[in-house]
Amino acid sequence: MIRRWQQLFLSGWGTRVAAGSALLLGLTLAISNPRAFPVYGDQTVLPAGTELNEDALDRPREIFNSVSRGGGKSYLINLGDLAFSSPSILGGAARRAGISCNSCHVNGASNPQLYVPGLSTRHGNFDTTSVLFNPKADDGVLNPFRTPSLRGASLLAPYGHDGRIASLREFVRHVIVDEFAGPEPSPAILDALVVYIDDIGFLPNPSLGPGGRLVAARSSDAERRGEALFAKPFPHNPELSCSGCHTPSAAFVDHRQHDVGSGGLFKTPTLLNADFNAPYFHDGRFDSYDQVVAHFNAVFDIGLSVEDQRDLVAYLTAVGDGERPYERDGVITNVKEASDFASVLDIAIASRDKEVIALAVETVSGELRETVESFPERKDASVSGGGQERSLARLALKELVLTLRRIDLAAGADRFDDAAAEYKNFRYLMVSAVPTLLANAEPWSLFNPKVHDAHYAALKQTLQTAKRASP
Amino acid sequence: MMHFSRAGSTSRMALGVRCAHMAGRFTVAGFILLGVVASQASASAFDRNVEHYRTQIAEDIGQALSGARRLRDCIAADDLEGAKKAWISARGGWERSEVFTSGLVPELDEKIDAWPKSTTGFHAIEAKLFGAQQTGVQSETDALIADLAELDAKLRDMPLPPQALLNGLARLAYEVGESKSDGGESRLSGTSLDDMRNNLLGISQAYHALFSEALAASDPALAAATQADIETLKALLDAPGLAAINSSHLRKASEAFVITLASMAPKINLQKPVLEEFGK
Repeated sequence: MIRRWQQLFLSGWGTRVAAGSALLLGLTLAISNPRAFPVYGDQTVLPAGTELNEDALDRPREIFNSVSRGGGKSYLINLGDLAFSSPSILGGAARRAGISCNSCHVNGASNPQLYVPGLSTRHGNFDTTSVLFNPKADDGVLNPFRTPSLRGASLLAPYGHDGRIASLREFVRHVIVDEFAGPEPSPAILDALVVYIDDIGFLPNPSLGPGGRLVAARSSDAERRGEALFAKPFPHNPELSCSGCHTPSAAFVDHRQHDVGSGGLFKTPTLLNADFNAPYFHDGRFDSYDQVVAHFNAVFDIGLSVEDQRDLVAYLTAVGDGERPYERDGVITNVKEASDFASVLDIAIASRDKEVIALAVETVSGELRETVESFPERKDASVSGGGQERSLARLALKELVLTLRRIDLAAGADRFDDAAAEYKNFRYLMVSAVPTLLANAEPWSLFNPKVHDAHYAALKQTLQTAKRASP
Repeated sequence: MMHFSRAGSTSRMALGVRCAHMAGRFTVAGFILLGVVASQASASAFDRNVEHYRTQIAEDIGQALSGARRLRDCIAADDLEGAKKAWISARGGWERSEVFTSGLVPELDEKIDAWPKSTTGFHAIEAKLFGAQQTGVQSETDALIADLAELDAKLRDMPLPPQALLNGLARLAYEVGESKSDGGESRLSGTSLDDMRNNLLGISQAYHALFSEALAASDPALAAATQADIETLKALLDAPGLAAINSSHLRKASEAFVITLASMAPKINLQKPVLEEFGK
């Protein structure tokens, strides 16, 4: 089912028929996604029932502006991306639970599955001023906000749902220190995070041409009618129109805050790639464009007919589209990411930068340890076959973890030549044996949807046994 | 000089060859696998020590078995709290013997410690006792007792090759560093931290019974470093609860310990430990 939903987005404008309601359907399906496995037990850092959706097989596709321009990711971008994925730059419960920026902004997008009992009022939002993540920021009220996508962030200042912070750098620091109780980040790490976030691009949308206008040859009549309505002044407030704030030629934003009847002043969100950013509004109150359009129609008494609303939704869906929004998680993406993250060691070891070396080892080895668990151990009876292949893959990954640790130990003891030699060994393993051993085992890994489902079904079964007779 | 008990090494060697063949032209994979080939190192006092270790793990498995039998009695009396206590006691003995069980009796390990597909074994019983708060685990407990009794009998005369024990020790040391932020393996009973502590006790017990003497003779500094690594891990696990563990420090300490074990291996005429079980 879920794949059919994604297929809808993958298949381009031609099948975008009635996508507004399809989006709603998609969201309902996403919420019941059997792959979102909750945290449970009585000793967990996060409340039992928390859903981080870390086991999702389809991940948002990440576009790097630097790569789109034909270049490559710089050291700073890789370092920022690394820090973004590192729980150790945060503090308190987030760090202990292994949560990083990337847990909520998956691959720089959002996480509509995110749900923390007591902090979320629905999937996709949560309260960033609560006692759980930073007791010092607890404001005593349940006021969850949706996790925004960071695609195109460099174009979307000011920051925060209410646009209260003009500088991205200042905002990132605020999130780390105030929302997630992290230690004061070093200027170098903060710079890298900003460079990375500024490099997160929008997914291309061939339906849009210069000025943010629809490309006639790629659009339907309904979408073009919607485009005209979008620019039309509101009958009772002729100084207002949709496009007045969502400026098509400027990433569909005006960099300002407005009261649109949702309980305060909130900044204009971009509509680019917004098909993948539900739920909508600052608190994520709406699941679909239909609801958003109906809200504006009612609040500003625009007098849109049912057909008009349908046309507007068709237009929004066209504007909010993006090419290949998801990609399948697998051996190749995992090895690529670990290689990119670890690449900072090249410069960090040469410049004897112990902070970055420690961060890289901590983060990459943590991710590699998690990847080991994607290859179930031999005794896991929920998987049959491929025992040798799985053991070899696990062994290779563990060797990488230990190689990284030797880099850390060597650098910690000021043996930087040893660290450089170990890093060379790491790179060699990453391009030679590791990808092959992992690919050999992939059919019996959790990257295979069948194995994945069997594994989680077994876990769920155990959970249900535990629940069945409980009061 | 005595010689190591080499029973079992032939099949392990054959396995090593098979694995190396699978990995084919990838010399690095071959390198990783070198340690799979059982050590042909010369003899030591190991044979004497291994018998001492055998009595220690026999005690641990004995505790697991008597705990499981007590569990059966509590179930018969519908005594839920008593059953939980018996389960925890049985679990402790089992976790201490893991250095040996995961590598040397994988087929019993798979039944006794099945996870996540737990229709039998400790976790199946745990789910009902601690999760569902019910004592309807008669058949699972009978099966657990039978499996532990089989293990107990097997242990008496099975070969305990030093390389396999070093492998098991290093594997468990690596596992202790795994993230338990999701509550760990025994999350329903809330005893994952006890699991980790018992794992470490088992590690310490195996190291002292089997290897520390030989290492102290050949490299006293490394012996001291190994002991220091164990103490570091012990201190990190001395926390009021699972959530209070500094997982990043624990991970670092576990990996550093595995690295120490790898450097220890040649000093006691063994191969670098292999961190995965390759079965039979």
